[in-house]
Amino acid sequence: MRRIRLRLREHPLPGGQPVAFGIGLAIALFVGTLLLLGAGHDPLKIYSRMFDASLGGPDAWSITLNRAIPLGLAGLAVAVAGSMGLWNIGAEGQIIAGAIAASWVARIGGSWPGLLLILMMLVAAVAGGALLALGPAMARAKLGVNEIITTLMLNEVALRLVQWLIHGPWKDPDSFNFPLAPMLPDQARLPTLFGRAHFGLLIAAAVIIVISVAVRYTAWGYELRIAGSSEATARYSGISLPKKVLAVLVLSGAIAGLAGGVELTGTTDRLTESISNGFGFAGIIVAALALMRPSGVAAVAILFGAVQIGGQSIQTLGVSSSVSTILQAFILFGAIGAGVFSRYAIALEKDALRTTEEVQS
Amino acid sequence: MNEASLIGLLIATVSFGALLYLAALGELIAEKAGVLNLGVEGMMAIGAVTAFIAGVEFQNPWLALLIAMLSGALLASVHGLFTVGLGAEQVVSGLALTILGLGLAAYLGKDYVGLRPGAELVPVEWGPLSELPWVGPIFFSQAPVVYIALFAGIAASLVLSRTRLGLALRAAGESASSTDSAGHSVLGLRLSAVATGGALAGASGAYLTLSITPQWAEGLTAGRGWIAVALVIFGAWRPGRVGWGALLFGGTLALKTRLQTFGVDFSPIILSMLPYVLTLLILLIISVRARKRPSSAPAALGLAYRREER
Repeated sequence: MRRIRLRLREHPLPGGQPVAFGIGLAIALFVGTLLLLGAGHDPLKIYSRMFDASLGGPDAWSITLNRAIPLGLAGLAVAVAGSMGLWNIGAEGQIIAGAIAASWVARIGGSWPGLLLILMMLVAAVAGGALLALGPAMARAKLGVNEIITTLMLNEVALRLVQWLIHGPWKDPDSFNFPLAPMLPDQARLPTLFGRAHFGLLIAAAVIIVISVAVRYTAWGYELRIAGSSEATARYSGISLPKKVLAVLVLSGAIAGLAGGVELTGTTDRLTESISNGFGFAGIIVAALALMRPSGVAAVAILFGAVQIGGQSIQTLGVSSSVSTILQAFILFGAIGAGVFSRYAIALEKDALRTTEEVQS
Repeated sequence: MNEASLIGLLIATVSFGALLYLAALGELIAEKAGVLNLGVEGMMAIGAVTAFIAGVEFQNPWLALLIAMLSGALLASVHGLFTVGLGAEQVVSGLALTILGLGLAAYLGKDYVGLRPGAELVPVEWGPLSELPWVGPIFFSQAPVVYIALFAGIAASLVLSRTRLGLALRAAGESASSTDSAGHSVLGLRLSAVATGGALAGASGAYLTLSITPQWAEGLTAGRGWIAVALVIFGAWRPGRVGWGALLFGGTLALKTRLQTFGVDFSPIILSMLPYVLTLLILLIISVRARKRPSSAPAALGLAYRREER
């Protein structure tokens, strides 16, 4: 008797992840086609609009890259923690904390020169994100408290903190009662590079490169990856786990905080309730698709940014924004599924145990 | 603050408590079997929208509730398929499920926004019991879902602690390989626990659109799924304690919209931080105590089980 079995490969298929992402994208496009047809739209027209708006020229690229900045930084934050087997689910909240801290600096330093102000805002953003991650980091390092839940809870706390600030103490008196903080001073805005792309692109690229090199090529990064693959091995080789856990989670929070600061000075220009806009959760997806490798987050962030920007653009054609949300979920599920299969081999195997009839015959 | 408004607060506390309890109970069952499902918010949204649509189309609240539970279970099975079947990361799949659920709910419900409900679950009257002062309106004039939640809690508690099925389920969450060796199907147990969790989250969502706020709007669930996730930890994975926690957190939800009418000058936004802050505190306390006593969290929570990797 022969049966089809899944066998775990010793090494995942080379290049499996880009292929998995491609399969995810294909599945998402197929499901999207069904949804669009169901709603009475012409899928070809919609898809070509999505492509034009996100990747169809320098201007479109600049918008997509702007979106890739927070996605990439948030993805990096999650991936750094993930390299050590830790889950930072709190990037969403840390982005908010970073943006709050940067806004606070802008409030007190409104008359400072631009360079100093932006620099101090970004430093504050890093500190804000790190501060929000400090609690979960210490709880995990000293008490072994699961960081998934603590970081998740703090997302909700940070969200309510920003809501409270812009509904109350920091509300713009000229906002016609809308819950909005005042606009940043003009000199607090990041300069533009090309099209609409702002200077945050270079900041994000630099941070991603530095962290990727540090994780891949330094002794620090090596210890990190050892600790991620096996706690026991790490302990035997004399790596102090609590210290590492503390450092990595705080670093992760700091990077997410920076994402909040860059988003504030580069894109939104004022503190809003939706400053984190789901980037923290999307960052988890970006990091997962990059297999928790810091070097992989940039490419995934750009692709994901393109899907989001494309999804926004089709709302003008009367397509519900939910279609783009569903597409993102299907890309992810498709890629997870395909990613799992790249680690397995499909084999036609003889059953080790024979049935009674087989023995008798 | 007068008597009527205090009673109103307590009625809402019980009804929000039941809403949270159903979803939290579902999450508890899944986590007991070893599967963390962060998709509660998405499953709740799917339950809410399908219940509302079914109510409008079929005008039968019970059919609507059933459809919502089936939809919740179906969505949860996606998570089950990926995490239990394929061994994908539970955190990632759960978050993707939230995104998928919220997206699907918005897509399905876009023609139903602002419509009048076709069916509502009306409060059950318990004869003379409902006439009692205080107790009557608070406990004996609630929508049927409240009593279903109570029943589900007792049933879950009994099944988990007193039956072979419950034992096998908990074993799957503590040590999958020994459960497998004992001849139980880890896959089957975990998949059914995840689906059951989805059905309960779906029922919770249905309670929103069939009774609490009988209409559909995008974002109706408003983060209550995350409170349910918090509740499971707050209640240390025990159905009873989760129930008390649900009343406490339900109280904060009920109080939030009433602070102004009570003349209390306190920000409702800050109040709504309370469930999360309390959960964090409890988590710390549990962890400090766990150094002396074994932790109450299922040992294999979040771990995929693959026979080959045993």
